[in-house]
Amino acid sequence: MTEDRFLLTIIGQLLAAAPVTLLILLVSAVLATLLAGVLTACAASGSRVLRLLSAGWTFLFRGTPLILQIFMVYYGLAMLPWIRQGPLWFAFRNPIFCSCLAMTCCCSAYIGEVFRGAMKAVPIGGIEAGRACGMSRFQLLRRVIMPALTRIALPSYSNEVIMMVKSTSLASTVTVMDITGVAQGIISKTYRTLEVFLCAAALYLLLNAVLTAAFGLWARRLHIARRTSAR
Amino acid sequence: MTRSPIVLTASNIRKSFGTREVLAGVSLDARAGDVISILGGSGSGKSTFLRCLNLLEVPDSGEIKVGDVQAPLTRDRKGRTVIADHRAAARMRSQTAMVFQGFNLWAHMTVLENVIEAPLRVQKRDRAEVCATAEALLERVGMSAFANAYPQRLSGGQQQRVAIARALATNPKVILFDEPTSALDPERVRDVLALMRSIATEGCTMIVVTHEMAFAREVSTSVIHLANGVIESSGPPAHMFGPDASPAFRAFLSPAS
Amino acid sequence: MTDLSLLGFGADGWGRLLLAGCALTIELSLSSMAIGTVLGGLLAWARLRGPLPVRAFAAGYGIVLRGVPELLVILLLYFGLPSLIVAVWAAMGWSAPGLPPAFLIGSIAIGLVSAAYQAEVFRGGVAAIAVGQLEAARASGMTGLLSFRRILIPQVVRVTLPALGNIWQFNLKDSALVSVIGLAELMRISLVGAGSTRLPFLFFAAAIVLYLAMTTVSDAVFRALDRALDRGRAEVQR
Repeated sequence: MTEDRFLLTIIGQLLAAAPVTLLILLVSAVLATLLAGVLTACAASGSRVLRLLSAGWTFLFRGTPLILQIFMVYYGLAMLPWIRQGPLWFAFRNPIFCSCLAMTCCCSAYIGEVFRGAMKAVPIGGIEAGRACGMSRFQLLRRVIMPALTRIALPSYSNEVIMMVKSTSLASTVTVMDITGVAQGIISKTYRTLEVFLCAAALYLLLNAVLTAAFGLWARRLHIARRTSAR
Repeated sequence: MTRSPIVLTASNIRKSFGTREVLAGVSLDARAGDVISILGGSGSGKSTFLRCLNLLEVPDSGEIKVGDVQAPLTRDRKGRTVIADHRAAARMRSQTAMVFQGFNLWAHMTVLENVIEAPLRVQKRDRAEVCATAEALLERVGMSAFANAYPQRLSGGQQQRVAIARALATNPKVILFDEPTSALDPERVRDVLALMRSIATEGCTMIVVTHEMAFAREVSTSVIHLANGVIESSGPPAHMFGPDASPAFRAFLSPAS
Repeated sequence: MTDLSLLGFGADGWGRLLLAGCALTIELSLSSMAIGTVLGGLLAWARLRGPLPVRAFAAGYGIVLRGVPELLVILLLYFGLPSLIVAVWAAMGWSAPGLPPAFLIGSIAIGLVSAAYQAEVFRGGVAAIAVGQLEAARASGMTGLLSFRRILIPQVVRVTLPALGNIWQFNLKDSALVSVIGLAELMRISLVGAGSTRLPFLFFAAAIVLYLAMTTVSDAVFRALDRALDRGRAEVQR
């Protein structure tokens, strides 16, 4: 009896921490996607400076561990006087803010790579046809390039977002009480490692499943339209 | 007898890729109703010339005029010719249409959506009118049963017919055909050529780069032979395919055994 | 702002310690990669050729270990493995063993996760190899083992090399997570140094530079390997 109660308590505590995980995930995913768009635009621009900046950003954030980036933002930046005395200090003291900031920067580099790869795969014939019938560059972007880009990038993009779920757990290393943080607390108090691990793992897998289903729906919406035949 | 108005003029087009000069001064006047076939060996510059006419390639020098719109070209800081005004270039292009060797239908749009896209969003015509025109054109090219299909479902010949409908939908002053049948198997080639013939007889102005000699001989109003980046010879098909044609063209027509 | 000699090799310098941390990072990554390759190969084989329950297990393994955060796996092993070992030892009647070293726990944890990804890569690699290749091998009289060794493995290696390079980079970066259980690899050293000198920015910046060096060198090595393998193929095709 106490076993079941114990399990239920664990699940309850972990679920209570789920909103934190979700918050970090959603904020970081949205901002990282936007930032990745900017990075991709820079990488494709005519300006050499912008191209170098984009390549440098990608090199830095893909070449170092996320945990180090989080520590740098949370502990390292706190050392700099112009951060400590700056107007945003209240934000930089907040571990959730720091985790989101680090994750945004890091994941934007990975998502940017996805976008860059997709851009190279957009069929040039469709673009030429668009130019040939007089589309302006903006029309070309909106009506031909973006739809093709979205369809090509979606599978890899979904993979990146689902991997971001795992990355949110790193926030626990800077005192954030997300699912992993709470799980670690319970384990170190009760030493019921396996049960806590299974419950936490189940929660993460559930989150993954929901995301996979959502992306699957999106992919099908983009493709189901393409499978309809005239008959 | 008054001659029909000139709809497209190209003067002294030159184009090099690196050190290789592909076009060494090619000029052309197209009048309304003309069907001009451009023939030549591979590497003679015919596709490049065609693509210069709607600025898909930017010629190094020379002038192009479609209707009354002059191609807006200028030189950049490094001396290369570039498009000076992209909006003007787009306007110029909206008065022409192109049919590609690879069809180039937009994969994320249905057949019908492909045909209405340019008239609707580039020419900004009324939606009801555009749809009616599109449906009539699809009927004309024999593809109305596929109006809601996506291009991947169609064979090459079917896609090319849709591409021709897409080209016609914008009421262009001239349609440019870039080897429209080279990527098709023989039966489809016949269908597409028949369609092109019927369009020609309706008075459409067409400039066609092709290898199909029968089409060039029977349907064109004039034939141009491009070799080594210049017009080697040109004239009405009766002359070009007759005994008085230039030796170089005769050699091109019947490869030396 | 700070005294860069702290990073150096003098009396106060942490340079030697940081480099020792790098060495440990690389060792950890190598051992977890090895575990991952062996286990991943077995899992791929299980999914391709095994009976249904084995295939299901391998598939489940992949889903779970690619979906659960690595940090949780590390914590599971760190807190759970000792008690498991004690229980097993007691059941066997052996006297209580010491705690397993953090290096072992870290390698196994990262290795278990890496195996899940490598299994996917190997599955894809085998699928990419034309069936005709192995049929030709059989037709020329090769036994299963011989064709496996001479035909399948070389081609799988060539096809999967870029993906394996990616996985190596992930192993390298995941090794930093093992710092949470106290292993003195680079992340941990920089953390300790930061705490001891109260100069986190300096030490984390040094760690960043060192990780970038390791990933850059790894990238160059894999690209050289890729070129070396490809060279043979291009010559044959001519």
